[in-house]
Amino acid sequence: MPVRWLLLTVVLCLPPLVASAEEDSVPDCLGCHTITADVAVHAVFQTVHGGLGGGGAGSCIGCHGASTEHARDPAAVMPGVSFGPRWQSPAEARSASCLSCHSGSSALHWAGSEHQREDMACDSCHDSHQQQDPALVAGESQQACLSCHTRVQAELLLPSRHPIAEGKTACGDCHNPHGSLGDASLHQASINDNCLQCHQEKRGPFLWEHPPAAEDCSLCHRPHGAIHERLLTARGPALCQQCHVAAFHPSLPYGSEGLAGGGSGNQNVLGKNCLNCHGQVHGSNHPSGARLTR
Amino acid sequence: MKRRPCQARFHPPAWRCALLAAACMAATAASAQDRFAGLLEETRPLATRWQTDYRGLLELGLGYTSANNFMAGQYNGLQEQGATLLGNLDWRSFAGAESYWQASLSDLGLDTREGELRWGIPGKLRLSAGFDHQLQVRNNSGATPFVGDTALSLPADWVSGLTTGSWTALPDSLQRFDRELERNNYHLALDSRLSDNWQLGSSLRYSTRKGTGDVGGAIYVDAASGDAVLLPAPVDHRTLEADASLGYSGERLHLQGSLAWSDFDNRDDALRWQNPYSSFGPRVRYPAGEGALALAPDNSQTSARLSGHYLFTPRLRLHFDGSYAVAQQDQSLLPYSANPALVALQPLPRDSFDGEVATTHSRARLQWQPRPKLDVQLSYRLRDRDYSAPRDGYRYIPGDGGDQSRPELTVYNRSHDLLSQTLELEAGYRLPLRGKLTLGYAWEEIERRNAATEDTTEDRYSLEYRLQPWQSLSAKLGLTWADRAADTYQWDQSWFALLDSALINATPDSQRYSNHPLLSQYYLANREQQQLKLDLNYLPDPRWSLNLNLLWREDDFDKSVLGVTETRLQSLQLAASYLPHASLQFNLHAGVDRYEADQGSRAFRGGQEKNAFATAAPLPQASDPTRNWFLANRDDSLVLGGQLQWQPEERFEFELDYRFVDTRAQQDFSPVAAADLNPANLPSVDTRLHQFDASGLWHWQEAVSFRLQYRYYRYQSDDWAWDGVAANTIDKVLTFGQRNPNETVHYVGLSVLYRWQ
Repeated sequence: MPVRWLLLTVVLCLPPLVASAEEDSVPDCLGCHTITADVAVHAVFQTVHGGLGGGGAGSCIGCHGASTEHARDPAAVMPGVSFGPRWQSPAEARSASCLSCHSGSSALHWAGSEHQREDMACDSCHDSHQQQDPALVAGESQQACLSCHTRVQAELLLPSRHPIAEGKTACGDCHNPHGSLGDASLHQASINDNCLQCHQEKRGPFLWEHPPAAEDCSLCHRPHGAIHERLLTARGPALCQQCHVAAFHPSLPYGSEGLAGGGSGNQNVLGKNCLNCHGQVHGSNHPSGARLTR
Repeated sequence: MKRRPCQARFHPPAWRCALLAAACMAATAASAQDRFAGLLEETRPLATRWQTDYRGLLELGLGYTSANNFMAGQYNGLQEQGATLLGNLDWRSFAGAESYWQASLSDLGLDTREGELRWGIPGKLRLSAGFDHQLQVRNNSGATPFVGDTALSLPADWVSGLTTGSWTALPDSLQRFDRELERNNYHLALDSRLSDNWQLGSSLRYSTRKGTGDVGGAIYVDAASGDAVLLPAPVDHRTLEADASLGYSGERLHLQGSLAWSDFDNRDDALRWQNPYSSFGPRVRYPAGEGALALAPDNSQTSARLSGHYLFTPRLRLHFDGSYAVAQQDQSLLPYSANPALVALQPLPRDSFDGEVATTHSRARLQWQPRPKLDVQLSYRLRDRDYSAPRDGYRYIPGDGGDQSRPELTVYNRSHDLLSQTLELEAGYRLPLRGKLTLGYAWEEIERRNAATEDTTEDRYSLEYRLQPWQSLSAKLGLTWADRAADTYQWDQSWFALLDSALINATPDSQRYSNHPLLSQYYLANREQQQLKLDLNYLPDPRWSLNLNLLWREDDFDKSVLGVTETRLQSLQLAASYLPHASLQFNLHAGVDRYEADQGSRAFRGGQEKNAFATAAPLPQASDPTRNWFLANRDDSLVLGGQLQWQPEERFEFELDYRFVDTRAQQDFSPVAAADLNPANLPSVDTRLHQFDASGLWHWQEAVSFRLQYRYYRYQSDDWAWDGVAANTIDKVLTFGQRNPNETVHYVGLSVLYRWQ
C-alpha cells in the first residue's frame, strides 16, 4: 500500500512539475513552423531579425514573446504578441514589441505621432518576415504610404515630379513616418531644410536673396508633383506676377497675342518667360545681380 | 499576404481541423477588416518559396528601348534607343546571432545603378557602404550656337544683328546638346549599440552632380533693352557631408544628440557668354562684349540637434527637439561686369560676401491623458532665421551693358531675418462607436525683416471627428478655419531697404515704391482659409476595399486688391481593391484635382505715370483703376490607374498595370476697361499620358526563373511656351528651339533569375 500511495503521489505531482519545466525552457517554435510548412516565417532567418535572442526560436521569442500557452495549444491560443493574419494583438502591443529595441533614432517621437494616433502599428507598414522589408526599399515603400495618401499617389503621376516611382527618392527621404515635431512629419526642422538636403546649391545665403525662396520653397513649388514644369505651383509669367506688380513689364497682362503664331513672340511669355532674363530666381551672388539677372 | 497554414506536430481529429479552419477563416476575415491590413500586400499575392527561400539571387538579361526620349526615361536610365543590360544581385549570409553580410546591386547596365554592402552583428553593429547613381534627363530636343563650358563662345563666322531674326549664320550654327544631370552618391555608415542604453551612429556621404542645365541671361542697360539668351549651364557640384549621433534610451528619458556638417563645392564660379547681339557699343556688342552670371556659390553648414522625450508618468510625456545650424557663404565676388572695357570707377565694397545665417529651431510637445478617454496635446514651435551679413552698397553695372551706375543708384543688400512661433492646443475625446472628437486651436506669429509685412498672426481652429459605426466602415471628417491677420502693408519697405538715400530723396513721395501699393504679396497678406476633408473606408466584404478621400480648401485674401485674391482646391480620390481569390487581385484608382487661383494687377509705366495716389483726373496710370486686369488660373488633373496581379499557379506570376494622366492648365482674362489693354485668353496647355506595364514571371526550376517585361509609354503636351518657338522666333531672346514632348516608347526586357541557397 505505501508503495502504491507513493506512486500515486508521484503521478499526481508529475504533470505540474513537467509543466513548470516546460515554462522555463525555450518553446520549440520551429518544430511546428517548419520550413516546408511555413516558408514566410523562415524568411526572417535571411534577415537581421533572425539573429535575435541567439537566433532560432530565440528570434521568434524576441518579437512574439515566450508564447508558452501558444506552444501548449497552438490552435486555440495565440502567441504572446501576434501580428496576424490569424490573430492580431492590439496595435499598442505590436508596436511595443518593436519599440523595445527601436525606441530611439527615427522612432523617437512615435508616441503621439500622426500614425500612432491613427491606431497604426509598426507592422502596418513593416514586415520583418520578408527577406527584404518592403518599407525599407525605396522603390516599394511608397506602396504602403500611398495606400492611404491617395491624393499624393495622384500627384506623383503628374508630368513634373521627383523620381519617386523609380525608387530614387522615397517618401521616407523627406517624411518620417514614425513622427516628428514638425509639419507633415518632416525629418528636418523646416521644409526648406528638407529640400536643401539634396539641393545644397540653393542654400546660400546669397548676396541678393529672393525672400520667399529663403522662407519656404513650397510658396512656388509643389514637392509631390505638379502639372507645370519644375514642380511649380503656377505657370509663368502669372506665377511671378502674383507677387510682382512693378512699373513697366512686370505689371502688364500677357495674353495669347504674345504667342509664336503671329510672327515674333513676346519675350515675357514664351520660352522661360520671366526667367529668360531673371534666371537666378533662387538668389544671386553677383554684385550686379540685385534684380536676380546675374 | 497569405501565408501557409500552420502544420501541427500531431494529427488532430477531424472535428478539430474543422474548427481550426473555421477559426482561420474568421480570423482572416477579421484581419481584412483592419483598415491598415492592405498596406502590407505583397507585390505578388501568394508568398512562395521563389520569393523567400534563397540566399542569393542573380538576375541577368537584356532590355530594349524603342526610341530616344526624355520623358519616358526621365529618371530610369532608359532615355536612349537600343539595348541595355539588365542586372540585379542580392546576396546575403545570415547565421543567427553571428555576424552577417549582405550585398545588393541593381540596374547594373543602366545609368541609374546602385549598390550596397552591409556587414554587421545583429543587435550590436552595422557597417554599410554604398553608391547610388542617378540620371535626370530634361527636354534635350533643343540646340544652341554656343560652344564651350563656362565660357561660351559663338562660331567664328557668326553674323550679328539687333534681333535673333537677323542672325543669318544661326541655322547652320545650332548644335544639339543633352540636358542631363548625373548625380552620384556614395555613403559609408556605422551604427553601433554600445550598451542596452547607448547607441552610436555616424555617416559620411559624398555626392557629385555633373551635367548640363539651362539658364536665361540678358545683356541690358535697363529693363526695356534686354538682349536675352538661353544658355546651356554647366553643373559641376560636389557635396561632402558627415554626421554623428549619440542616443540614450532610459526608462523615462530618451535622448538623441547629433552633429552634422555639410560642405558644398561648385567647381564653376561663373558662366560667361559672348554677346550675339549688336545692340550696344563696341565694348558690349559682338564680338568683344560678354555677359556673365554668378553660379551657385560654395557654402557650408554646421548644425547640432538634440531631441528626445521624457516620460513623467504613463499619462504625461514631453517630446522636445531643438537644433541650431549655421550656414556660411564666403564666395569671392565676381567683378561688376565681365566686360573690362566698361567703366567702373568705384570698386567692389568687399572681395567676398562673408554672409552667415544662423537658424534655430525649438519644438516641444506635451502629451497628457488626464482621463482614459481624454488626451490633450500642447505644442510649441519656433523657427528663427537670423542673418549675419555685412550690408554694403553696390554700384552695379546694369546687365553687362553700360558703365557703372550713378552713385545715387547704388543698391544695398538686405537681410531677411524671420522669426516664426506657433502655439497649439489639441484635445481629443473618445466617443462611442469607436469615435473620437478632436478639437484644436493654433496661434502662429511670423515676424519678418525688410518685408512689406513685418508681422502676421494667424488663428487656426480645427475639428476632427472619427468614427467606425460598423467594423466595415470607418470615416473621418476634418474641418479647419484659419484667419491670418497682417499688420499694415508697407509697400515701400523693401524699396527703402534696397536703395540709396540720395535716390530716395530725389523720388517724389508718390513714387516711392517698387511694387504697386495696392498689391499684397499673398504669403504676407490677410487671409481666411476654410478646409473640409472627408475620408471614408468601406470594407463591404473581406474581398473588397473601397476608399474615398475628399478635400476642399478655399483661401480668401480678403484685404488684397492686387495680387492673389482667392484660391480654391478641390480633390476627389477613389480607390478600390478586389481580391476574389488569394491568387488574383485587382486595384483601381481614380483621382480628380482642380486648383484655381484668381490674381489681379494694374498695368502702369514709370515717371509721372507712377504716381499711385492721385485722385484728380487725368489720373496717372498707377492711380487709374481702369488699368486693373484680372486673371483666372485653373489647373485640372485626372489620374486613372488599374492593376491586376494574377498567380494562376505557383510557377507563374502575371502583373498588368495601366495609368492614364490627363492635365489641363487654363488662364482666362477678365475684360479690361482701359482701351490699350486687351489681353486675349491664353490657350490651354494639355498633357496626356498613357502608360501600360505588363510583366510575367515563370519559375522554371527551383533555382531558375524567367522574367518578361513590357512597357508602353505615350506622352504628349502642347505647351504654348515652346510650341512653334524656333531658336530665333523671339526677337530679343535666343531660345533652344526645343519641341514639346510627343513620345511613343516601347520597352521590352527579358531576364533570367538564378537563386542559390
